[in-house]
Amino acid sequence: MILWWLGDIVLLFVVLPIVVYLLRGVLSTARGIVPHVQAIAAAAAAGSKDLDAVPLLLTTQDQIKRTVETIADYGGSLDVIVDDV
Amino acid sequence: MPAAGVVLIIAVVLIIGALAVYLLPTIWALIQITKGLDQAIKGVGELIEKSAPVNPVVADINANLDAAVSALEGLLVKKAGLPDALGLIDGLYPGAAAEGLRDFPESKTITPPRISEVYTRGTLTLARLGREAPIAAASPEGPVLRHVARSEVATRALYPDLRQTRPEKLPPSPVIGTDAPVQYEQALTPGVRAHMPQRGAAVLDRPTGGSGEESSEAPPPPAAKRGGFLRWKQG
Repeated sequence: MILWWLGDIVLLFVVLPIVVYLLRGVLSTARGIVPHVQAIAAAAAAGSKDLDAVPLLLTTQDQIKRTVETIADYGGSLDVIVDDV
Repeated sequence: MPAAGVVLIIAVVLIIGALAVYLLPTIWALIQITKGLDQAIKGVGELIEKSAPVNPVVADINANLDAAVSALEGLLVKKAGLPDALGLIDGLYPGAAAEGLRDFPESKTITPPRISEVYTRGTLTLARLGREAPIAAASPEGPVLRHVARSEVATRALYPDLRQTRPEKLPPSPVIGTDAPVQYEQALTPGVRAHMPQRGAAVLDRPTGGSGEESSEAPPPPAAKRGGFLRWKQG
């Protein structure tokens, strides 16, 4: 009978507090992760939105090609017009 | 049932209750974490998808710009010479000549002439392209290349061997306006006059024959046949 009481005492005053302590730690940690994950999701969404202008690079690429062609035309003309040193 | 057994059952119930109280919010928090990670993964996926074509496009833009820079540097060096080209670059962008030209490694060892202070042949050539315009107008932040106190004539004296290609005196511009010496009627239709002018029309010498005598039967000038303003000189 004494062992039964000892087991009850250990269960109530040792095991139960330890379980409660560990569970509180897990819960607080899980709750602390939530805002960070939400911030990461918001940052990813904002980053994705910032890249909406990336297709404009294709326009820039085309404009660069045209500009370089124009520069080449002018350069060719100048090469003919201006005497070499 | 002994009292110890009852206490044991109560202790187990308390432990199970504590598990339920703490594990349920933990599960709810983990569900929220899963949802947030799903959104983050979706955003990251969009980032990867949208940034995928950036590298080849930027590489192509850089390749085109590299070609343009090489061509312009080559043209500048060809027309102005390497020292003057560096002097011009350094005049427009002070300190830029220290980096040299990409396609001319020896340019890093050349001391650029002070084109912003003293004109050189290359600068003169380039300045002519702008018809006396300030060559540094495109870069107002930098020093002006053309010295305001010196004209091109004075500059040209530095290089007397340059060929003079412009006429010494250009013909005057025609006088127009209400007080002009020659007045014209306003045309009804563009290109068609209401009356051909009797005075002020251009007068041509009659063509002479092979003997040098004036030909009275010379046909009217082509412009006169079409009602033009040319007429033969009388007498």
